[in-house]
Amino acid sequence: MTAVGGRRFGSRGGGPLGGEGRWALLFLAPTLIGLTILSAGPVLATLAISLTEWDLLRAPRLVGLDNFVQLASDDRFLKALRNTAFYTVVSVPLGMLISLFLALALNQAIRGIAWIRTAYFLPVVTSTIAVALVWQWIYSPDAGLLNQFIGLFGIPAQRWLSNPTLAMPSIVAMSVWQGLGTSIIIFLAGLQAIPGELLDAASVDGAGRWARFRNIVLPLLTPSIFFTGVLSLIDSFQVFDQIFVLSRPRPTDATITVVYFIYENGFKFFKMGYATAASWVLFLIVAVFTAIYFRSQNRWVHYQ
Amino acid sequence: MSVGVAAAATERERWPARSRQLRRGILIGLLIAGGILMMVPFFWMITTSLKTRAEVFAVSPTLLPARPRWENYVDMWNALPFAAFFVNSVKLAVLHTGGQLIRCSMAAYAFSALRFRFRGPLFGLLLVTLIIPFQVVLVPNFILFRMLPHPFSTSGNWIGTQEPLWVGAFLGGAFGTFLLRQFFLSIPRELADAARVDGANPWQIYRSIYLPLARPALATLAIFTFMWSWNDFINPIIYLRDVQSFTLTAGLSLFQGQYVGKWPLLMAGALVSVIPMIVLFVIAQRHFVRGIALTGIKG
Repeated sequence: MTAVGGRRFGSRGGGPLGGEGRWALLFLAPTLIGLTILSAGPVLATLAISLTEWDLLRAPRLVGLDNFVQLASDDRFLKALRNTAFYTVVSVPLGMLISLFLALALNQAIRGIAWIRTAYFLPVVTSTIAVALVWQWIYSPDAGLLNQFIGLFGIPAQRWLSNPTLAMPSIVAMSVWQGLGTSIIIFLAGLQAIPGELLDAASVDGAGRWARFRNIVLPLLTPSIFFTGVLSLIDSFQVFDQIFVLSRPRPTDATITVVYFIYENGFKFFKMGYATAASWVLFLIVAVFTAIYFRSQNRWVHYQ
Repeated sequence: MSVGVAAAATERERWPARSRQLRRGILIGLLIAGGILMMVPFFWMITTSLKTRAEVFAVSPTLLPARPRWENYVDMWNALPFAAFFVNSVKLAVLHTGGQLIRCSMAAYAFSALRFRFRGPLFGLLLVTLIIPFQVVLVPNFILFRMLPHPFSTSGNWIGTQEPLWVGAFLGGAFGTFLLRQFFLSIPRELADAARVDGANPWQIYRSIYLPLARPALATLAIFTFMWSWNDFINPIIYLRDVQSFTLTAGLSLFQGQYVGKWPLLMAGALVSVIPMIVLFVIAQRHFVRGIALTGIKG
């Protein structure tokens, strides 16, 4: 089978991929190898590993669904699920709401606006490990900035990271701060794509600021809102770095998240089967939520 | 626009003109205040890094140190092999970026400009891997690298070496391939067709037409890959064993564990590790912004 449509490059016979198959193979071989051994293969492997008990020293022992049964009654895992859910439910809408407001405000042509925007973007590019270290210092119970600040108003010092009711909200606050820039950029791109004539026409027809926002800007922005929603959702299920730094030396039940649970079981306790079982549960949760979210889009997302 | 409407509009707008200016002024003021608030952690990082321990824990602390204590940076730099961390982070980020640029551009070229059987399904498979959370493959990849023999490592396998942190970059990446393919599709086919008539083969077309034209997209991918590698934490702490081989993120975490409460030194270390990314961001802000707007992935 030779090239279709008259495009051919010395492909005598064409090889297994036909057409420009030989050239394609040359360009693609490493990617296909990587895809097989580092992505697709491992996904199948985790399925198999999750059915075993394996500490990497002895041979894996097949235990069926035991790992999953054990997870269902593992208090620490259930806490990890609950904390991850809390983190997601609070940080995603909060981050999106704040960044939407900021993007609307930042979307204007003033001299020096680029510098103001930079201030909002900067936390995005810095490593979570480094900035979490500063936040640990800000939250520090003895001389931390936050306690000193609330002290000015006569509020007593708090143990932000070790008090079980405050620990997770404190971590959420840091994450929202760090993530704002990403959503702002996406919202700004969406806002700049809205045709100015549309807004002018509405003004001429007597539409006020709120009416224009409600009836033109917001509907046209729904694709951007949907997009940042997906990204923040997936991101928040994977929260790890800030937990590692802020919950030193080891997260209590108040702050452990699912990815930390996977890390702890896989790479500290070397329970490979148990860790992969947990990662499957996470994968399923992410997949279900993303699917629901995607299915909701034709009810509220307007593509032009 | 009819005259009547215009007149009504100016009538309505005249008085609000001043109030609108005022509102705009307040808005800008709030934005600047918010921007300063966003920067507080960075200011605090800088000033703390120049304070003495006594100043940090003073009953009524000051905003700025009485005298900047630059020695903190020397002490920090010598407390752990920070020079090695720095070199390792640069080395891994450069290898990672190089690998991704070469591999993703080649794969993207094949997916956008060559015709072959299974092109659609293979590209679909690649896209599917985009949505697999990385934790799912964390354990099997670790086990895989543990089975691979390594001539120079003490463990005999790849665990404890830096190889697992960059070799994969030379075996493609779904995100980069996707990004570059989108860009390649916008390159007019006539250019390639003309070159083909002149006897150029696909490799020559890729090298002399696609790569030069895709420079902005390649720059965006390079910056994101570099940032991703520089800020990566979970992979270094899983694979690296010897402190001398640590990256800045792993080293900083070790530093945190060993110097509990020594905030000036910890802040100096944090600052040193974020400065390269901040410089890169300021230089290439345009590419950052475009990359995020295009893909939403921040690394």
